[in-house]
Amino acid sequence: MKKKALCLGLAICFVALWGVTVNPVMAEAKEIKIGVIIPMSGALAATGKHLRDGYELAVDVINNKHPGLGIPIGEWEGIPSLGGAKIKLIFKDHRSDPGLGADLAKRLIEDEKVIGLMGCYNSSVTKTVSAVAERYGIPHLNGNSSSPLLTKRGFEWYWRTFPHDTFFVDDLFKLLDGMVKGKAPGVKPVPREEINTLAVAVEDTEWGSAVGKLIEEFASERGYKTAESFLYAHGAPDLTSETRRLVASKAGCYLFAPYISDAILFIKTLKSMRAAPRLVWGQDAGFIVPDFIKTLGGDINGILTRTTFCPTLATVKPLIGKINKMYRAKTGVDFTGNEAKSFTSVHTWAYVLNKAGSTKPEALRKEFNALDIPGDELIMPWKGIKFGSPYPGETHQNELGSGVIAQYQGYPGGRLEVIYPFELATAKMIYPFPGWK
Amino acid sequence: MELATQIAISGILMGVIFALIALGLTLIFGVMNIVNFAHGEFLMIGMYSAFLTSTFLSIEPLLSLPIVAVVGFLLGIMSYYLLIRYLLRGPMLAQLFGTFGLMLFLRYLVMFIMGPSPVAIQEGILIGKTVSLSWFTFDMSKLIAAGFSILLFVLIYWMIERTKLGRALRATSIEADAARYMGIDTEKMNALAWGIGGATVAIAGGLLANFYYLTPTVGMLFVMIAFATVALGGFGSVRGAFLAGIIIGVIEMVAGQYLSQIKLSFVYLTYFLVVVFRPRGLFGW
Repeated sequence: MKKKALCLGLAICFVALWGVTVNPVMAEAKEIKIGVIIPMSGALAATGKHLRDGYELAVDVINNKHPGLGIPIGEWEGIPSLGGAKIKLIFKDHRSDPGLGADLAKRLIEDEKVIGLMGCYNSSVTKTVSAVAERYGIPHLNGNSSSPLLTKRGFEWYWRTFPHDTFFVDDLFKLLDGMVKGKAPGVKPVPREEINTLAVAVEDTEWGSAVGKLIEEFASERGYKTAESFLYAHGAPDLTSETRRLVASKAGCYLFAPYISDAILFIKTLKSMRAAPRLVWGQDAGFIVPDFIKTLGGDINGILTRTTFCPTLATVKPLIGKINKMYRAKTGVDFTGNEAKSFTSVHTWAYVLNKAGSTKPEALRKEFNALDIPGDELIMPWKGIKFGSPYPGETHQNELGSGVIAQYQGYPGGRLEVIYPFELATAKMIYPFPGWK
Repeated sequence: MELATQIAISGILMGVIFALIALGLTLIFGVMNIVNFAHGEFLMIGMYSAFLTSTFLSIEPLLSLPIVAVVGFLLGIMSYYLLIRYLLRGPMLAQLFGTFGLMLFLRYLVMFIMGPSPVAIQEGILIGKTVSLSWFTFDMSKLIAAGFSILLFVLIYWMIERTKLGRALRATSIEADAARYMGIDTEKMNALAWGIGGATVAIAGGLLANFYYLTPTVGMLFVMIAFATVALGGFGSVRGAFLAGIIIGVIEMVAGQYLSQIKLSFVYLTYFLVVVFRPRGLFGW
């Protein structure tokens, strides 16, 4: 009896001792650190804030219970196969500097011991950061850079959930072709000559020049005329000359690829020149952030923007409405494409970690390559996430992603309505562009 | 011909505004031989002052210019008394890093208070107004801003050249010790240069806010142009800043029309050529 009591006492002491000594180590292991390298200062500070909000909301959904969402991650409270380990994001600001981005990636891997990376929004920074991840053999999941070249490098440790610019420019020309054929919601067939001539202004970055080149290629392939096409110096204090070139081209469609400050400046200058194009389209970025809406107010009505996400899609996908409600309660504004991209990146990481049941790079790589998330579990209007080769020469690109073209209607106080894909349209298209009063 | 006239008008309008932005910088340098890296942030604070008075006090942006000028003047005076006069005791590098630190402090202070998101003035008699000629439409607010800039230049030029105060400022800038022996309070003159510099660039910001967006980082878009303007016109020269502003505005407009991607390179190339062949700038001392 005494022996039994002694054994029991020893066992209790052992457990208690284990609790105070070994447990902290376990607790530490229950945190999964992922580095996030995005712009958080300078001209992209506002965009960076939206990106960060999206990442943090997804971490909240994964680390805590949200049963009302109706998707697996809402039930999890951490990564189930890793004993409920919580995801911890470590944010770093690359200030749109590719060199700094690479340096931060090294520091995150070597000093912070992150198991993987996310970001970096600017394609030029994604390029250098992914090269560092490749060298160290650490997964880099990119959910917000759209240069097509990024998935054409044959990298083994870089994956992209986000559809790239080839998808999006293809969508633009499908929209234009559809308008001519009378497929645009609420618009009679548009005479081809009205929208046949294009004027293109893209910023002088890797992303901008790739978009400009793609537009020219698609235009020549589909029989559209490019009356004006140029790269402009981003962040210049004035864009009067550039805007004058667009107006002088007498093109029916003005197509842009700028970040936020230049997007605002272009629209303000177009307004001051009383420009009257038939259609204005922006390639996401500056045309989609909430600041574009807040700063320009009613001047954005009728402008089309490429996006991958639109809160009005909640009418066809209730999950979007639920997430948007959570986000709105937290920030007071609607979820946009930037937050949605960030959310989906963390969501993808969570799936991979859960499937792998490990944080070892090789196990993660295997799961990234085998990943198959069904579309109905995503907040994106995609068919799912599965990495493959949708266009020749590509690797690790999500094959099931797609874009959306939406139009600002009824601002101030209006909505961003989906126009393309035509089958997902949430409102009638405003055509021609109403101009500025 | 029409295109050339459009480019010339747009270039001159924008150039005069560039010149007003550079005016404060050249005054401060002229009097004290110190480069104010926080000059772009003074401009940004002028813009936010116009935005805040217009948005929250419903004061017409144009009528808010006196308030904006006072804010700029006080900012300049405070910068001098709280920081610059101590920096002047140190080596040149301390002065450079000091104003650089002031730049970061002001930028991130405004970012902390106002947030990083861009904003714009939505209501005002000039907002969205244009002037239409048969062949050219341009922004009314740029025209008014250019008019105000010219007026301010004339006023400052008159003050520097024709008044006792201006003579005291010039004396301080030429030989501070001699000026002090002659009974001029050079400390006050230095503070005044910072005050006037702050007020003029803040007014430029108030005018700019009628047709430009605002962010806490907006100053850095203009400050490089302002440095090039001051160097091209000649450090310390009011006339030089005015002429250089117009030259830079026109060059920027012409280059933007044909070689947009590298348009700012032409601005700096012009500056480089002037520095090589006339190191003191067009009208420098």
